[in-house]
Amino acid sequence: MTSLTPLSEHRPAEAPRTEPSGDRGAPVLSLRDLRITDRVTGRDTVHGVDFTLAAGETLGIVGESGSGKTLTCRAALGILPPRFEVTGGSVEIAGTDITTLTPRAWTELRASTISAVFQDPASYLNPSIRVGAQIAEVLRVKKGLKRREARDGAVELLAAVHLRDPELVHGQYPYELSGGMLQRVLIATAIAAGPRILIADEATTALDVTVQAEILDLLAELRDRTGMALVVVSHDLAVVAQLCDQVLVLRRGEVVEQGPTARVLHHPRHTYTRLLVTEHEEYGLEKFLRPEEDA
Amino acid sequence: MTTGSPTDSPAGTPAGGPVPPADVPGRAPAVPVLAVTGLDVHHGRRRRRRPVLHGVSLTVAPGETLGLIGETGSGKTTLARAVLGLVRPSAGSITLAGEEVSTHGARQWRALRRRGIVQYVFQDPLRSLDPDLTVERSLAEPLLVGGVPRAEAATRIRAVLARVRLEEDLLGRVPGELSGGQRQRAAVARALVTEPRLVILDEPVSALDSAHRVQILRILKELRAAGVALLFISHDLGSVAGSADRIAVLHRGELVESGTARDVITRPRHPYTRLLVGSAPTLRGAPADRAARDALRALLPA
Amino acid sequence: MVRRVLALTSGRIAVAVLAVIALLAVLGPALAPQDPLATGDSPLAGFSAGHWLGTDHLGRDVFSRLLDGSRVSVLGSLEVALTALVVGVVPGILSVYLGRAFEWITLRVVDTLVALPFLLFAVAVIALLGNGITQAMLVTGVLVSPLFYRVSRAATLVVARSPYVEAALVSGASVGWIVRHHVWAKVLPPIAVALAQTIGTGFVIVSSLTFLGIGVQPPEPTWGGLLASDLGYLDQRPWAPLLPALLITVTVWACNLLADAIRDVSGEAGRALADERRAGRRRSEPTPAGGTR
Repeated sequence: MTSLTPLSEHRPAEAPRTEPSGDRGAPVLSLRDLRITDRVTGRDTVHGVDFTLAAGETLGIVGESGSGKTLTCRAALGILPPRFEVTGGSVEIAGTDITTLTPRAWTELRASTISAVFQDPASYLNPSIRVGAQIAEVLRVKKGLKRREARDGAVELLAAVHLRDPELVHGQYPYELSGGMLQRVLIATAIAAGPRILIADEATTALDVTVQAEILDLLAELRDRTGMALVVVSHDLAVVAQLCDQVLVLRRGEVVEQGPTARVLHHPRHTYTRLLVTEHEEYGLEKFLRPEEDA
Repeated sequence: MTTGSPTDSPAGTPAGGPVPPADVPGRAPAVPVLAVTGLDVHHGRRRRRRPVLHGVSLTVAPGETLGLIGETGSGKTTLARAVLGLVRPSAGSITLAGEEVSTHGARQWRALRRRGIVQYVFQDPLRSLDPDLTVERSLAEPLLVGGVPRAEAATRIRAVLARVRLEEDLLGRVPGELSGGQRQRAAVARALVTEPRLVILDEPVSALDSAHRVQILRILKELRAAGVALLFISHDLGSVAGSADRIAVLHRGELVESGTARDVITRPRHPYTRLLVGSAPTLRGAPADRAARDALRALLPA
Repeated sequence: MVRRVLALTSGRIAVAVLAVIALLAVLGPALAPQDPLATGDSPLAGFSAGHWLGTDHLGRDVFSRLLDGSRVSVLGSLEVALTALVVGVVPGILSVYLGRAFEWITLRVVDTLVALPFLLFAVAVIALLGNGITQAMLVTGVLVSPLFYRVSRAATLVVARSPYVEAALVSGASVGWIVRHHVWAKVLPPIAVALAQTIGTGFVIVSSLTFLGIGVQPPEPTWGGLLASDLGYLDQRPWAPLLPALLITVTVWACNLLADAIRDVSGEAGRALADERRAGRRRSEPTPAGGTR
């Protein structure tokens, strides 16, 4: 994995590497018929998840709580809870089958190649360390930067996630920031080492709608600028519809629908997907927006 | 309607007064079940006293559903709590079914509440039912407090269960043994047993998965058809849009816009409302909106 | 809750030990094979058929004295705990509901009580009111009551801010209704824990006082008194103090064990624990079937 580390010096330098949706090059993340088993009950909690993601592409995973969407992400990140194990299929990150990885190689891979943000950002930050120092730590460990460089890098990253006053936020503690700001900080931390894949697992669920839109916009922008692949996980089909090319609908560990976003939204095949669409058409904004569009 | 203006013009006097019922076609003008006029609420004491609501005026006509949109810190929950008498307003008036309540003392509130005219459904379905009591005891509480005999309460509870599509054998269970959706339906049932004229719902679907969300929204629609007035509070325009007759938007303690659901969503006037409409995730999800959203964000003060 | 406590091994042991001690306290004097006050002619004797645990320096039967002495210790500690319970819990719950003035006053009173060392205070009260264990225990109970005040107040505060209490309030429920239907069940488990703990503390206090010879007139036997008098004859019967000391230790230990057991099974955590054990049992049963599959 050592070959991967030096390539990401700074985000702008990386940008030309991938023009938006231009090259459909080698897949950076591919799951083949992934099967996850609960060791305690002996039952499969996820079976047969299968997708391929190239640089600059976005995949949406939709499902309710307990559908196995989070377990799938955790398997890709190599952080499954101890009671679950991968019992079938394979996960390949940038061409490497993760089952062959030693814990040491995993550490190398995480953050620099694959990274993630989750719901409840506050619990992923140390409450007694200033925000800037926590980002700088990633830069120093993953990119081998000196103290001074890491500090500047952290401020740059905070600016890159559009925090209004990056210098100020750099010196603040997590409790001084709002939920939306914390999620931005976490995104900054996640992209610090220039990963090629970013997984956002319900990253906007607890946020206000306007803030959710800001975060989704930010993720889309980062993807377009750096060409990283994005996995957006949500219980809300509409959130996923905002920025994904492909959608995968999970229900009780099974993929009930998978395909290009437009196809899934407009011609859902499975009853469950239809329910998700109905929720919006019958009770959501679409009820008013659609006629206007026709007019 | 004065509240369309972002300034604080509606403070003090109810210049435009309640929304004329003409907004809602087919409903005769009647005494509103809820009328709030020029409401101010402050939190904290002395030096830490700060305004939470300023000059808020709104009405809910009988049988009408008003969607109240507000994000974190907008004061939407405070508004609900003021209407329920859990927070004392510092100025303005609140009338419930024609009765002025903003000056009520504890005893008058208790008498009013026991009539069961107004009920409340909380956001968190796990914590809004006592974890140690069976569903039956929780549902019976509003009736028993109001002096309904036990036997009658039992039959009324069973009648309400059918309305929220819960099976009778759930009555003997405690909330911990119910799913999230069942709990929220039980909480709605609890609010319905007294046959209220107004139900205030604070984020009733935010914590739920799609399937359960649809179930609750469907129940709310039926309630509306049955003539129960609803004050549906949410941070998400999307979840309110399909159920509300009218929508009011609360931003930093002030009502910045109100009108029929269609007008507010298709022709929002205040930049904040426009941002709300533009931010609500829809299935049409056009990434091109990004630039429009950025422009609106720039318009709003930090 | 009683059933859940008994489901735990530690709970069963604690309850069994405390039941035996309670029985001794009730039936002790009747069971005593000899008059605990009757002096004999063979002082400081060892174990024998006539005197199972030997005799003390005045030739009195040690076994009978232990049995008879249990009553003072048990009654004393119960007095402490019950006084503390009554004095502490009621204002603790009401402090949340009766407004700021009441809250402020009770909190200050509690702070004051905490500052007073109860053993010294008990000694002082006996000096003032005459030699009687009951007065001393009542006063000690008042001094221990801040524990109950705090525990019940904390539990009530948590409940009072919960949505279901507000829901009851919005339905028109009075404070009395809310306390009876919602608060009581939540406050009870922590109070039970505090009670079990306080009974243990009460034992230590009674034993300390009687060890010092305060509160009880000399010929009457008590565990603390026995311990004290035995210490004077260590060269003749070096093992003798072990018996009352062991009794005191075991009783206090059982009280603390019971407190732990109650805490383990009460509240949300307790329910989760019980569920887990049930699930564990269910899991362990069908495993062979799952394994063969």
